[in-house]
Amino acid sequence: MNIQDITLLRLAAGYGLLIFPLAVMLWYRIPIVGRTVIAVVRMTVQLLFVGLYLQVVFRQNSLWLNLAWLMVMILVADVSIIHGCEFRLRIFLTPLFLALVAGTAIPLVVFVGLILKDASLTDAQYVIPIGGMILGNCLRADIIGVRGFYESIRKNEKAYLNCLAQGATLSEAIRPYIALACQSALAPTIASMATIGLVSLPGMMTGVILGGATPMTAILYQIAIMLSIFSGTAITIILGILLTTRSGFSAYGVLHRSLFVK
Amino acid sequence: MSQPAIDISNLTVQIDGQTILQDFSLGIDLGRKVALTGPSGGGKSTILRCILGFVEPQAGKIFVSGQSLTAHSIWSVRKRIGYVAQEPDLGNATVQDVLHRPFQYKANQHLSGNLDRLPDWFKRFGLNAGVLSKEVGHLSGGEKQRIGLISALLLEREILLLDEISSALDKDNRQAVIEALKNVPATMMIVTHDEAFFELADRIVTIQPVREEVGA
Repeated sequence: MNIQDITLLRLAAGYGLLIFPLAVMLWYRIPIVGRTVIAVVRMTVQLLFVGLYLQVVFRQNSLWLNLAWLMVMILVADVSIIHGCEFRLRIFLTPLFLALVAGTAIPLVVFVGLILKDASLTDAQYVIPIGGMILGNCLRADIIGVRGFYESIRKNEKAYLNCLAQGATLSEAIRPYIALACQSALAPTIASMATIGLVSLPGMMTGVILGGATPMTAILYQIAIMLSIFSGTAITIILGILLTTRSGFSAYGVLHRSLFVK
Repeated sequence: MSQPAIDISNLTVQIDGQTILQDFSLGIDLGRKVALTGPSGGGKSTILRCILGFVEPQAGKIFVSGQSLTAHSIWSVRKRIGYVAQEPDLGNATVQDVLHRPFQYKANQHLSGNLDRLPDWFKRFGLNAGVLSKEVGHLSGGEKQRIGLISALLLEREILLLDEISSALDKDNRQAVIEALKNVPATMMIVTHDEAFFELADRIVTIQPVREEVGA
């Protein structure tokens, strides 16, 4: 079974779905009409551009092209995290980039190299979408985790300094804040694993079914991607926090106030 | 001649562009107790925070037991110091957990036997055992100060830095704290506005916001 093509003419019917929400916005004077139109245009242009590029990547099936594309995605994610966390860009750019690389690469290699029987890192068909899904989740978790970590220390600075005064090493003093940050960053993934399939069919499973596979194959893919996402987010959060502490704290163990944009 | 327990020379500290301390010097011999007093904003608490490495001075030197304070040495220097902050923030936990936590740090694990003295300190500071199961957030200001002090005393440090530890204590508890501290052999720097603490001190140093130091 092959997936049906969508012609541009038929896609226009999809844009027709916007008529109702836009009409509601105009009728109730909800001031997001402009933003919605810009978002739809951006989505269309970005996805068409990515589609054209990926067609080349998929045709080539080159390891280096795949890796280059993943690196671009990771770099964009890296900058997004830093903006999302309201941190000064340069300080954390490299450590968070490394954390994202590890958090994406480790589960991706396991997925493509071990879980899938006949795939390799040259198969763009697997590497790009699976890497993208893992990375997208790492990005979200890292924003919650890294920001939560530094914000909670800033908020509880007296208690944190009290631990240092009592003789704690830096790693002993930050341990409870790492635990808290991980808990809040991993909670959405854990909740999503606990309810998956009950509320809605997840994205990957839908994609695999649309691609013509049996529901059972789709479920096995979904289980594998959930495990990969969970592992990737945990790796990214822990490494994200540990690798940034060097620039986040002074040699005396004091949090750098200059980290925060506000 | 033995070296001073704390030796501060020509300390200058600026915070947010404002000079808090200018060329401040002070030496404290081993086992002596010095009270730092003077108007608010004079930099008394800042001196304690400099000794702990929480504030990095623009100029000057600090020696603790002969060891120069650097980013490297601070980690071992802190193991010699007990600190009680003004309005101590003890974190979110029960009093029991707060008092046990420092002994989980590698630096203090060998001192965990000191926890046996907890009932004695509770009795001396007028606290009942029921306080142990209370959440820190539910403690009164005076209870927090006494718990913070007990936590520092249990670590049996050579040097105690005490910052306004009596601001929330009533007269009886304040006197109990003073009497207890008289028998503690540690070198002490006590930041206080409370003249009752002067009887504890071998020396009183008044620090003016104009960065003048007047020894008495």
